[in-house]
Amino acid sequence: MWLVMEVLLPKLPSFKFPSHSHCCSITSRSSSHVRFGFRRISSLSICASAVNEAVAEPTIDSPSLGHSTRPRFPILHQEVNGSKLVYLDNAATSQKPTAVLKALQNYYEAYNSNVHRGIHFLSAKATDEYESARRKIASFINASDSREIVFTKNASEAINLVAYSWGLSNLKADDEIILTVAEHHSAIVPWQIVAQKVGAVLKFVDLNQDEIPDIEKLKEMLSRKTKIVVVHHVSNVLASVLPIRDIAQWAHDVGAKVLVDACQSVPHMMVDVQNLNADFLVASSHKMCGPTGIGFLYGKIDLLSSMPPFLGGGEMISDVYLDHSTYAEPPSRFEAGTPAIGEAIGLGAAIDYLSGIGMQTIHDYEVELGRYLYERLLSVPNIRIYGPAPSEKVQRAALCSFNVENLHPTDLATFLDQQHGVAIRSGHHCAQPLHRYLGVSSSARASLYFYNTKEDVDNFINALTDTVSFFNSFK
Amino acid sequence: MMATNSISSSSFRLFTTRIPLSLHNFKTPTLHPTPSKSFLFFKPITFQRLPPTPSSSSSPSPPPSSLQPIEDLPPKLQEIVHLFQSVPEPKAKYEQLLFYGKNLKPLDTRFKTNDNKVQGCVSQVWVRAYLDPNRNVVYEADSDSVLTKGLAALLVQGFSGRPVNEIIRVTPDFVTLLGLQQSLTPSRNNGFLNMLKLMQRKALMLYVEAEKGGGDSGGGELNSIESEFNGVVESESGGGSSKNGDFETRGDEGDVELGGRGKRIREKLERELEPVELEVEDVSYQHAGHAGVRGGDGETHFNVRVVSREFEGKSLVKRHRLIYGLLQEELDAGLHALSIVAKTPAEVEG
Repeated sequence: MWLVMEVLLPKLPSFKFPSHSHCCSITSRSSSHVRFGFRRISSLSICASAVNEAVAEPTIDSPSLGHSTRPRFPILHQEVNGSKLVYLDNAATSQKPTAVLKALQNYYEAYNSNVHRGIHFLSAKATDEYESARRKIASFINASDSREIVFTKNASEAINLVAYSWGLSNLKADDEIILTVAEHHSAIVPWQIVAQKVGAVLKFVDLNQDEIPDIEKLKEMLSRKTKIVVVHHVSNVLASVLPIRDIAQWAHDVGAKVLVDACQSVPHMMVDVQNLNADFLVASSHKMCGPTGIGFLYGKIDLLSSMPPFLGGGEMISDVYLDHSTYAEPPSRFEAGTPAIGEAIGLGAAIDYLSGIGMQTIHDYEVELGRYLYERLLSVPNIRIYGPAPSEKVQRAALCSFNVENLHPTDLATFLDQQHGVAIRSGHHCAQPLHRYLGVSSSARASLYFYNTKEDVDNFINALTDTVSFFNSFK
Repeated sequence: MMATNSISSSSFRLFTTRIPLSLHNFKTPTLHPTPSKSFLFFKPITFQRLPPTPSSSSSPSPPPSSLQPIEDLPPKLQEIVHLFQSVPEPKAKYEQLLFYGKNLKPLDTRFKTNDNKVQGCVSQVWVRAYLDPNRNVVYEADSDSVLTKGLAALLVQGFSGRPVNEIIRVTPDFVTLLGLQQSLTPSRNNGFLNMLKLMQRKALMLYVEAEKGGGDSGGGELNSIESEFNGVVESESGGGSSKNGDFETRGDEGDVELGGRGKRIREKLERELEPVELEVEDVSYQHAGHAGVRGGDGETHFNVRVVSREFEGKSLVKRHRLIYGLLQEELDAGLHALSIVAKTPAEVEG
């Protein structure tokens, strides 16, 4: 028997399930809880929203994406400081499913070998898996060619690659580099270094009244002097999303390139580099269920082909003489030395895992859960959440950076951890210029991923309330 | 390093090697307090094992036995440690910490400088230190995080008004005694460590500056200890006949220290050998205490260096015999030994 109830709720979101899931079994209980099963096979599209009448605390007992994926993440099932772990620091790094852990272990147990130059069986297998990982990344972000994926240590290294390789050979004195005040340090500092070397100028876009980077101002700042625009796709503090497609369009109109910092977007939604028309794009594996120590740079093939090497060594060469060498074609040209082979394969396994769920599914779930987090946070007295308020036009990522008046975020985070096992982050989140702009020294941040559940958010809010009242009692 | 002197007529106290060598380090601002060297001259050292706190759930393992004994801590700090040990629950410890922080005297903004800022803290912490008229260190601190403020208040209360030497010998591991360690994240713990280090460094710097600037006998344990130590050196050189001598002085000058015999040796050698160079050195003190000395007036061993033409054509043995012959009277009268260097002018120049 299908139970379909639609109740209008002024504040709280209804838990819709995305279109390619269908309900398999429903048992109705007297308290009008509804059970939904979750399947990836999309034969039926049924969209049902069922909500408990008690509006303040929706008690849907449905195995959401969070519930169904949690069992795959062994690290989440532990106690810290006497309480169950509630991990809400996903913007800093994500947890890994057993599939990825197994892939890593299997690599070292079964076929670990150096890649690309070996003849023997193991090395051939390792090379196959390594290059297959590269292809997986390429198709994950819809690059036109797997040669457009350069493996790096992480996103920071990828940005440095562009700055030193493309930047040093293409920027001259008085050229302009446009960034926003909300950029991560890794997107700012390499350009500061290069700009200083060549005499180029960094220009920063401020935030508008919605606490999003002011796109209009960015447009105005563009000129023929602009050579590159470096922007985040999703902000790790403000949770805002920038219209990359538009920005790329405007940048190209004045002959400038675009580098997209997609660290907070690739793990959480579908990113199509051809659609965005980005020249460069960077992301890190450890934020998308992959291991640490590996990330990648996407660059249009003709761009990469025109760039000089970044790091020198083995693999990136063609012929080596005593007094000079010739270099390989991209991507090898930018991959000196033995790469993090196991980790690259682990990243490939992570992409398989994520694709199996579906990035659209993940995104939709996070939009809901993110909004729930935002609204429950708003109920905490004297709280200030940074970034735009979610609305029809404005989408927020599933993270909230905030401050509670008269409460230092570090005290907050410490108490949450010690007394409640809740893991959030406090500090400047590698965005000191942004915090300076906002007029604060630091903030607290809770960030979600698809394996977080509504209960996680509820536990967090309860813990936060307890923390705030504890510290307030000492005022 | 002076050897101990068996002269019983001296009135100063004999210091054995229990004087910690690190006292010398006070002049230089290096800080190496170690729990094994005790600065206590006037109390016996007890290294008792601290009983594991039965009620503290957050520290399952007993503190290591190499922990600085609690008696070594400044009295107020001991009180604080006992207080925290008696509070079992982590939450209650936090409350206690916050209570301390609340009662901390606020720090004037003009003291919130970079010099006073503690590095390695997740929040902002400042510590100010100055000496009171009794040369005890007074601390003031502040932080924008209330937990850190509590920690700072702990240290301020524990250390303020205490003398420098007491402050700098405290080792950071008393934090484990508080039972707060596991309750505080490692990064916060580092901040605590750095806070403590900054306070100790400031104390030492204040002391060094005061010593330079003053010179008058200020109060404080440290000064009297130092002067007593210096006193040891002085009185040893004062007693008895000339002993120290200058190792480096040449024979012609600076032999002011030579006693009667020394002078006689010199005169005789000069008269008989007409030396180009002559060095006579009284090294009797080095041999003080062994058989040959007893009963003499102290001038028993000499180093002699003679450069003279008289030695030309003479073998080493013959040269020594020559010198011994000249000094036979002295040898009969108590001169015990001569250490001789006898050369010809040609040998020296070559």
